[in-house]
Amino acid sequence: MIDILKLSVQLYAPELVCVVLMCLLLVAEAMHHEEGTDRTKVYLLATLGLVVTAGLLIMNLGAAPSAAFYNAVVIDSFGTLMKLIMVLGTLGALWLAHSSKDIYSNLKSEFAVMAVGTLIGGMLLASANNMLTLYLGIEILSILSYVMTSLKREDSTSTEAGMKYALYGGLTAGVMLFGMSHIYGMLGSIQFAEIVPKVAELQGADQIFLMASFLLFFAGLGYKISAFPFHMWSPDVYQGAPIPVTAFFAIVPKMAGMAVLIRVSHLFFAGDGALSVSWVGLLHVVAALTMTVGNVTAIGQDSVKRLLAFSSIGHVGMMIMGVVVLNEVGTRAIIYYGMAYLFMTLVAFWITSVLNDTYGTDSQAVFRGLIYRHPVMAIMMSIVLFSLAGMPPFSGFVAKFNILSVVIEKKYYGLAFIAALNSVVGLYYYMKLIKEMVFSKAETTEPVAGFTDSTRVLIVALTIPVVMMGIFWDGLMGLSGGAKLFLQ
Amino acid sequence: MISLASYLVISMILFVVGLMVMIARKNIVAILLGIELVLNAAALNFVAYSKFVTNNLDGHIFALFIIVVAAAEAAVGLAIVIRFFQLKETIHIDEATQLRN
Repeated sequence: MIDILKLSVQLYAPELVCVVLMCLLLVAEAMHHEEGTDRTKVYLLATLGLVVTAGLLIMNLGAAPSAAFYNAVVIDSFGTLMKLIMVLGTLGALWLAHSSKDIYSNLKSEFAVMAVGTLIGGMLLASANNMLTLYLGIEILSILSYVMTSLKREDSTSTEAGMKYALYGGLTAGVMLFGMSHIYGMLGSIQFAEIVPKVAELQGADQIFLMASFLLFFAGLGYKISAFPFHMWSPDVYQGAPIPVTAFFAIVPKMAGMAVLIRVSHLFFAGDGALSVSWVGLLHVVAALTMTVGNVTAIGQDSVKRLLAFSSIGHVGMMIMGVVVLNEVGTRAIIYYGMAYLFMTLVAFWITSVLNDTYGTDSQAVFRGLIYRHPVMAIMMSIVLFSLAGMPPFSGFVAKFNILSVVIEKKYYGLAFIAALNSVVGLYYYMKLIKEMVFSKAETTEPVAGFTDSTRVLIVALTIPVVMMGIFWDGLMGLSGGAKLFLQ
Repeated sequence: MISLASYLVISMILFVVGLMVMIARKNIVAILLGIELVLNAAALNFVAYSKFVTNNLDGHIFALFIIVVAAAEAAVGLAIVIRFFQLKETIHIDEATQLRN
């Protein structure tokens, strides 16, 4: 008890604000629900709460890493930066949901409540320091995600997507727990701090058994970040879910899963024993296959949502390469990647959402000749697609460059070669969409009604960071420069 | 005398049976039951290790959390399945084919 009281509230204030915000949103919807309106007040309240959360996170950035609640959670710069990305992603997805017709207007508040709830799970995951908090974080994240996926209740694809998500999710959570239970049995505790030193003491058959347990454990993490071979759910869920939910899934659960994968890899496998070698080998294979499967399958997709889903699988593969090197430079590269990916994804989904609302489909055909009707929007979309493909001078290039440079520095040439090949494949399908926008004639010249002035200003404002982060990138990389990223 | 090994064997059987149910059964409710088996295999492991090996309470607490979270997950899963049934009038997994390449 005294231990909890002694703890500075400042450390966990962001989570506290989010929990209170979630309750407030529920009450606000229950007491002041206005039939038929788009719940602007609820969204303003949510925005206020998230901005306060972001502010508190920024205040925490410089603080020394420390553990809280009997070592259940750890607050360090790395976790805080990941949380910051998640909060910004939630904020973006929130306002996308506000303007999108994909979320029924009487369910708009529910989206806000569940997005904030999922964010809480993600934040817990980013600072998990024992297996129980890790499991609870993943489950908070997952259970709310199932509901968000099937939020479009009258639509059978949305329900089907939610069901597939729930079944896959339940299975991988079970497999992960089974692995965790054996890790607990062999190492004697669920606290990371207590079991990490014991990993090195294991010999022979025990080592193999522990590695097998970690493989099962990886199923849960791999599923959350949709890494190969646990990626099958992701395109279906992305296609079936309402677009704001898809944009949300592309950022928040992925960064949360990535955060915990980084933390676990760094804590358990930073040495150079046989276990570390096999874990690094596993990540090698997973990274290479995730990238390749994502990018190659994206080629034939007509649904833009599905295309972005496969492309996000490819990006996850890229990010895992930053985990493989197991050093702080790699982690920084991933944080930068996450920050850059956040803005690119939001813009791409936002424009897709507006077109989808107008035409009722997200096929590539609705992009045809966009440049003749909305030149600015077409240019913004082209910028983010170029950036997603990793072309200079945009932030996507710098993100990929950072990752590749740390991989090459570690002399993993094979992996770097596969990554470079994948960039070429990626370029092909992104360019196909750009070709559709720029070189095809539109059937009509009527402007799309959904591109209102405020939407256009927002989209341009969100694209600016994509360009700026590509030009002034050392500032962001230096943001966490002095602080030690981890509490070891 | 019941030893640790007996518990581990039982939980292994539960785990495999759960996986088999998930792969082989076509009824979605049966698949949800399979998930419960897998989760209970893990919970049983935690309690068994707690009693025989580690002698601390971590495993017991973890098992309690697993039971609570499994209940929440089943509730959400069943709610989605009911919605699926209302829209399609079947709970056969092979009918869930609208999302494909």
